[in-house]
Amino acid sequence: MANLALSPTAVPESKIAAIKRGSAGDARFRGMTFVAAFLVVVIFAGIMIALAIGAWPAIMEFGWSFLFSQKWNPVTEKFGALASIYGTLVTSFLAMLLAVPVGIGIAIFLTEICPRFLRRPIGIAIELLAGIPSIVYGIWGLFVFAPFFQSTVQPWLIEVFADIPWLQDLFAGPPYGIGIFTSSFILSIMILPFISAVTRDVFNTVPPTLKESAYAMGCTTWEVVWRVVLPFSRAGVVGGAMLALGRALGETMAVTFVIGNSHRIHESLFAPGTTISATIANEFTEAVGDLYHSSLIEAGLILFFISFVVLASAQIMLRALERRAGGMSG
Amino acid sequence: MDTAVRDKVKVEIEDLSFYYGDNKALKNVTVPLHDRKVTAFIGPSGCGKSTLLRVLNRIYELYPGQRAEGRVLIDGEDILHTRQDLNLLRARVGMVFQKPTPFPMTIWDNIAFGIRLYEKLPRSVLDGRVEDALQRAALWGEVKDKLKESGLSLSGGQQQRLCIARTVATQPEIILLDEPCSALDPISTAKIEELIDELVKDYTIVIVTHNMQQASRTSDYTAFMYLGEMIEFDVTEKIFTAPSNKRTESYITGRFG
Amino acid sequence: MKLNRMIYKGRKGRNAVFLTLSTLAAAFGIVWLALILYSLFYNGINGISLKVFTEMTPPPGEDGGLANAIFGSVAMSFLGVAAGTPIGLLAGTYLAEYGRYSWVSGVVRFINDILLSAPSILIGLFIYVIIVATTHRFSGWAGAAALTVLVIPVVVRTTENMLLLVPNGLREAAAALGAPRSAIIKAVTWRAARAGILTGVLLAVARISGETAPLLLTVLSNQFWSTDMGGPIASLPVMIYNFAMSPYEDWHKLAWAGALLITAAVLALSITARILESSKRS
Repeated sequence: MANLALSPTAVPESKIAAIKRGSAGDARFRGMTFVAAFLVVVIFAGIMIALAIGAWPAIMEFGWSFLFSQKWNPVTEKFGALASIYGTLVTSFLAMLLAVPVGIGIAIFLTEICPRFLRRPIGIAIELLAGIPSIVYGIWGLFVFAPFFQSTVQPWLIEVFADIPWLQDLFAGPPYGIGIFTSSFILSIMILPFISAVTRDVFNTVPPTLKESAYAMGCTTWEVVWRVVLPFSRAGVVGGAMLALGRALGETMAVTFVIGNSHRIHESLFAPGTTISATIANEFTEAVGDLYHSSLIEAGLILFFISFVVLASAQIMLRALERRAGGMSG
Repeated sequence: MDTAVRDKVKVEIEDLSFYYGDNKALKNVTVPLHDRKVTAFIGPSGCGKSTLLRVLNRIYELYPGQRAEGRVLIDGEDILHTRQDLNLLRARVGMVFQKPTPFPMTIWDNIAFGIRLYEKLPRSVLDGRVEDALQRAALWGEVKDKLKESGLSLSGGQQQRLCIARTVATQPEIILLDEPCSALDPISTAKIEELIDELVKDYTIVIVTHNMQQASRTSDYTAFMYLGEMIEFDVTEKIFTAPSNKRTESYITGRFG
Repeated sequence: MKLNRMIYKGRKGRNAVFLTLSTLAAAFGIVWLALILYSLFYNGINGISLKVFTEMTPPPGEDGGLANAIFGSVAMSFLGVAAGTPIGLLAGTYLAEYGRYSWVSGVVRFINDILLSAPSILIGLFIYVIIVATTHRFSGWAGAAALTVLVIPVVVRTTENMLLLVPNGLREAAAALGAPRSAIIKAVTWRAARAGILTGVLLAVARISGETAPLLLTVLSNQFWSTDMGGPIASLPVMIYNFAMSPYEDWHKLAWAGALLITAAVLALSITARILESSKRS
C-alpha cells in the first residue's frame, strides 16, 4: 500500500507490519468499546420494550381506564392503578416537602456555618449514610418508627386536628402506625443524606471569589447564601432535588414495609395505601394469572415513564449548572 | 544563507497554515529543516511555534476542530496527505513535551513500551535496548539499580531524560522538543542541552524554546516567529548577530516578548 | 459614613434566624440518621453469633443462621460484578476516549445517567420478562443478570470520570511514540486511572449488595442450602424482607442481624473506596 509505505527506504518493513497489526487491533478494540457503550442504550430500550410487551394484555383489556380506576380485584380480574399512582405521587411529594428544606439546610450548615474541622467528618458521614441500603430504612420503619408513632405522636395529632376543618380529614382515623404518612416520613429520612450531599457539592461549585466579594461588601451569611450562592447554583439544586425525587418515586423497600398495601384512596394521610413499587413487590410473585401479572407490569411501565421524565429533567438541569460553572472558571 | 545551502534538507514546510476552529494560528509558513541539525523556533508566547511543532507529527489530530493546510514534506513526501498513516508518521517523528510525561509504570516499562509497539524481542535483547536508550539519554548511571521503580519516582530532570530515552528507543528520524527545559532547574537544563549536542549526530532535531540563550547555544539554525508568521529563518549565528529583520532584532535584544 | 441602625439591625436579625434554622435542620437530620444506626446496631448485634454464618435459615421457632443467604448474596453479587465490570469499563472507555467529542457519547451518557438512578424494581421486572418468563423458572442466574444491569451504569460513570481526569499530556506522549489508541488506553490511561476505576467497582458492589426488589422478582428465595444457580436461591436482602414481614420473633431477630451484616459490608466497601480514592489524590 503506497499510502502506508511513505518512505520504504527509511522505515524497515517490520515496523510497517507492526503498525498495520496495531491499527487492526485498534479497530477491534474501538469496536468493542463502542458495542459496550451501545449496550447501555440497548438495555434502556430493552427495559422499555420488555415492559411494554409484558403490559400489552393489560393495556388491551383495560385501556385508559387503568389509569383512572382504583379497582384492584384479583378475583374478578379487574385492575386499575389509580391508588398506586396516587400513593406514589403523594408519598414522594410529602417526602420532598420535608427532605428538600432540611437537606438544603444541612448543605448550608456544612458549607457556611459548621466549624471547619467538623466539615469533612460530617460530610463523609452523610455520604456514607446515602449508601445504606433502603431495606434498612424499611425495617427500622416497621419495627421502630411505626410502633413509636402509633402510640405517641399519631393519637396526639389526631386529637389536635380533630376540630379544625379540612385538617381533621387529613389526619383522621384510627392510629395504625403504618400508612401513607409514615411511608413519606421514612422516605424523606432515606433521601435526606442524598439531597444534602448533592446540594453541598453543588454549593461548592460556586467560585469562592464570588462569595468573598459579597462578604467583602459586608453581606451577612444569609445574604451571601440567598443572593449569591442560591441564584448561582439554582439549576444544580433543583437538579439534585429532582434526582432525589426520582429515587423517592421508585423506592421499593423503604416503603413496602410500612405502607399497608391497600388499593383504596383515603382522604386521611394516616390511612394505609400503596405505591406502584410496593404493589409490585408485594404481589408480583404471588400473582396468579396472566392478566394480573400484566397489570403489575403495566404499573411498572407507568413508573418507568414518570421516573424517566423526572430523571431526564434532573440531568438537563445538572448539565446546565456544569456548563455554567465551567464557564466561570475557564 | 550560504551554509544553509550546503546541508541536506530533511523536511520542507511549505505555505503551512493552521486553524483552531476559525482561529488561524499559523499564516502561510514556509521553512526548511535540515538533516541532522538542530533547528530552533523562537518567538513570544502565542506566536505559533509550538503549533508548528504539533503539525510535524500531526499530534493535533487527537482533537476535533484543528486542521492544517499547506504542505509538509519529509524526504519529499507530504505528511499532511489524508492517507498518511498517523502511527507510522509518529514512529518516524518523535516528540518530547514541555512537562515531563512519564507513564504510570516502571522505568524499564516506560522505555520498553515504545520498543514493543514495533518489535517482538526476547527479554534479553529488550534489556539491551532499554539500557542502550537510557545510555543515550545519559540516564543509565542514575537509574540502573532501580529499573523496577515507578517512572514517577524520578526527579523532574530525570523524568525529562526518561522521556527522551523513550523517544530514542523507538528509533525515529526526527525528534521534536517542545520547550523541554522550561519546567527544569539550570543543572538539569544543562544536561539536556549536552544531550541535544550528542543526539544531533544521528537525528534531525527541532526545538521550540522560550529561552534565547538556549536557542543560540544548542541550534544550528533558528527561525523567529511572530503572531503566526515566519519572520526570519537563518543560521543561528546570523540571527543572533546580524538579523536582517527589525522585529527579530527587537525580540533578541529583549525589547518585547 | 452614616449607618442606618434600623436596617443594620434588621439584617442582623434575619441572619440570626437563618443561621439558627440551618443548624436546627442539620441537627434534625443527623439525629434521625443516628437513631436509625443506633437501633440497627442495638437490634442487630443481639442476633449476631457464629451460627449466623454456619447454619441454614430455620423454620419458625427453631435455631438457625443465614449461611445459605450469605452464600447466595455473595455468589450473585460476584457474578453481577464479574459480568458488569468489563462492559461498564469498555463503555466508559468509549465515552472518555474514542467518543469523547462525538454526539453518540452525549446520548449514551444521558441514558446511562438515567439508568443510574432508575428504580431498581423496574430492572427486576425487565429481567423477569426477558429471562424468568421465557425460561419459566426463577433462578440465581436471573438474579445475577439483574445485578449486572445495576452494576453497568455505576462502572460506566466512574470509569468515564476517572479517565477524564487523566491529563491529555499523557495521551499525547504515548501517541507521539506512534502508539495506536488501543495501546495508549490499555497501557497508559487505564493504568493512570486504575485506583479510581477500582473505587467505582467497589461502589458498584456496595450498591448491589443491599438490592432487594430486583431479586424478589427474579430469584425468589430458598429455605435450604443451594448452590444451583439454575433455580431459586437464598439471598440476604430477600431473607430480611421475608423474615421481617413474618409474625415470628426469632425471624425478626435474624432479619435485624442480616440488616446489620449488609450495612456493615456496605460501609466497609464505601470506606475502602474512599481511602483508595484519597490515597490516589495525594
